[in-house]
Amino acid sequence: MVSQSQAHWPTVPISARDVDGPLFFTDDEWTLVRAATARIIPTDYDPGAAEADVVRFLDRFLSGDFVYASATGDGFLEIRGKEAEAWQARIRHRQSVYREGLAALKALSLDKYAKDFHELSDDEQDALLVETSGRPKPRHVQLHDDEIFNSGEGGPPPTNQPVSDAGLGFFDMLVAHTRQGFYADPVYGGNKNFVGWRVIGFDGPKSLADTVAGRYTTTDYMIMGATWPYPQSPRVQRFGR
Amino acid sequence: MIPRKKPEPVEVLIIGAGASGGTAAKVFTEAGIRVVALDRGPFLRNEQFSGDELKYLNRNYVWPDPQLKPRTYRPDEESPEEEVQFSPTPQGVGGGTIHWGGIVPRMTEDDFRLRSLHGDIPGASLVDWPIEYGDLEPYYTRVEWELGTSGLAGANRWEGPRSKGYPTKPVELTHYGRVFAQAMKKMGQSTFPIPQAMVTEPYRGRNPHVNSGFWQQYGDPVGAKSSTANTFIPDALATGLLDLRPDCYVREIVLHPDGTAKGVIYTDADGNEVEQLADIVICCAGAIETTRLLQLSKSATHANGLANSSGLLGANATFHEYLFAIGLFDKEVVDPLYPWAGHYMNTMSFDYYQTDYGRGHMLGTLIFASMLGHPVNWTFPGRPTWGQASKDTDRDLFNHSMKLGVMVQDLPVESNRVDLDPNVVDAWGLPVARITHTPHANDFAQAKWQVAKNMEILEVAGASKIIPVNLEKITGNCCHEMGTARMGNDPSKSVVDKWCQTHDVPNLYIFDGSFFPTSTGVNPTLTIMANAWRCTERIIHVRGKGRTAD
Repeated sequence: MVSQSQAHWPTVPISARDVDGPLFFTDDEWTLVRAATARIIPTDYDPGAAEADVVRFLDRFLSGDFVYASATGDGFLEIRGKEAEAWQARIRHRQSVYREGLAALKALSLDKYAKDFHELSDDEQDALLVETSGRPKPRHVQLHDDEIFNSGEGGPPPTNQPVSDAGLGFFDMLVAHTRQGFYADPVYGGNKNFVGWRVIGFDGPKSLADTVAGRYTTTDYMIMGATWPYPQSPRVQRFGR
Repeated sequence: MIPRKKPEPVEVLIIGAGASGGTAAKVFTEAGIRVVALDRGPFLRNEQFSGDELKYLNRNYVWPDPQLKPRTYRPDEESPEEEVQFSPTPQGVGGGTIHWGGIVPRMTEDDFRLRSLHGDIPGASLVDWPIEYGDLEPYYTRVEWELGTSGLAGANRWEGPRSKGYPTKPVELTHYGRVFAQAMKKMGQSTFPIPQAMVTEPYRGRNPHVNSGFWQQYGDPVGAKSSTANTFIPDALATGLLDLRPDCYVREIVLHPDGTAKGVIYTDADGNEVEQLADIVICCAGAIETTRLLQLSKSATHANGLANSSGLLGANATFHEYLFAIGLFDKEVVDPLYPWAGHYMNTMSFDYYQTDYGRGHMLGTLIFASMLGHPVNWTFPGRPTWGQASKDTDRDLFNHSMKLGVMVQDLPVESNRVDLDPNVVDAWGLPVARITHTPHANDFAQAKWQVAKNMEILEVAGASKIIPVNLEKITGNCCHEMGTARMGNDPSKSVVDKWCQTHDVPNLYIFDGSFFPTSTGVNPTLTIMANAWRCTERIIHVRGKGRTAD
């Protein structure tokens, strides 16, 4: 009998970049998702979702074969046992959220502007996303005003609980997945050439294999050799304010 | 029907090969005693882990799949349950020591005697521990050295006397640790390096930590993080006396006619039903799953669940709750904090740990500096989620943000409990755990005061905008599960005795965090492991003399 244990899930030697086009989306959906994600993380003097290939990340996730990269990134795990059933159900649900949400967005675009979403101006596209989200467009953070955030869209940082897409409607799911596609390891099909990490200054691993082998380190961004009590350490006093 | 398998009986059967089960397996087998250890999850090896944020933080690679293993929560008995991913401690060999941050301070001497120090607190079920710091001290030292830890002995001046220092040097400093330490100094307060379950130097054939930043919530491919899966379990396997059976889901503890434990019935990795008999059964599945298993093991003589003649099995549940103040810094005036460097957390203070009634509440907790998350999940309340504002926020603040964490020392309350949900079953058809919990008023007061204090520290540290994350309800976000089978001398007021032997069933023990009479303000796992070592030695000692008690 084949083991169903997670410890023995085999690696299927596939890559999120094996083929250029979509595995799940239709060509029209691919074009629409590419345009919508480009407004969620827009391109400015730095790359955005379009350059990161976020649409590919999304398509590969929804195809169902790209859930868990192998540890070294040489393929994706073949999920077995009850976990396989759970993931198949989860993926089917996410597929239906996208199919319906994208159809509605396309219909909204044709209804309001008599054009497809990707043919609209940035402002027109944003207006449709605002309408779809049901909330105002997010405003910039002002560091030096007195407003105290104690609730809001971002939510608290992750703790020992997953940041899950369960229960999200189409727009919030699209936003969550766009962020994942921009910032997750490139093995998942987005974050092409690490553009997402470069935009925010995260000097992440060049490959998952580097993290497994212990070749990836962040010591360049630490204060190595500082002695306790730290405020008296010469290496720390250089940072005195 | 598939015939039930009946393997050879064994001397000791351990349910759950995590922090406490791994410790007990090591100590028993190294004393020459044969052990079967069952774990309901897989035995993942170091090389199966990686620095893959999406896999660990968003897709539950080591956390229980909520569709298969749901739990429910309600604030009180009048409220409806909701399905939540409460305390998703990894279910697999190593248990919580797979994903943990490995913060391993010892309990203070006062932590063992809160009732004596503070008296009767209305609405709480405060008790002293039936053991003292001195009872655990030798075992703290053994775990620190056998597991592999790092720290600076003596730096925590609130710590009780210790017989030995740490085996490897303290972790290196990060910039977010630095600004915390500098702000505390300005305020006349103190900080010290966090004691960590990590080897920072070559140690017993293990490679030192490489500061990859992929730490809390991840397994460690390098193996420098000390989990029982890469230390105590291999030690036990090396004796040839541990029969480790991963992917085996225990459904029931069965009894002899005389009321002693006979063994367990479990479903193995291939779906077979197996009955494993044993002389001694030890529950090490974590306070939630152990409570659930004992309640699933109802019988005519144990109508309220096994080992529950006191009615307290599942009661007095405590979970800590991880709260924080978040600081956003202006990149034009402050050096980058690189919060993803190091290993999630860095630099700790115990300055607010001791009770000061002038604050309007009792007890306190450790605080420490940490990151807001890797790129995908980095966030704070109020962060714009899409559009140019979102991109600018990520770009300007990802390297200029940090948080100061609070781990609420929650008071035990008898009505806060774990039991079986009457409606929801798991993917195997068994009722899931239901958590009923409302924090004590002191928990709210303590959390509010400490979050406000942490905001003050961040202001001194130079943060431009400071955001509180206050206590609203418990969510189990610490994966600290405690109190559901409290330890005590009086069988009518506790579930296990001071050796973690159940009062009702002489050959049934509970070694996981269930036994904690009070939650303490420190991370519980070091104490769970030290106590498991202590209690295992006692079983070996007493049984070695042919006795069943002292």
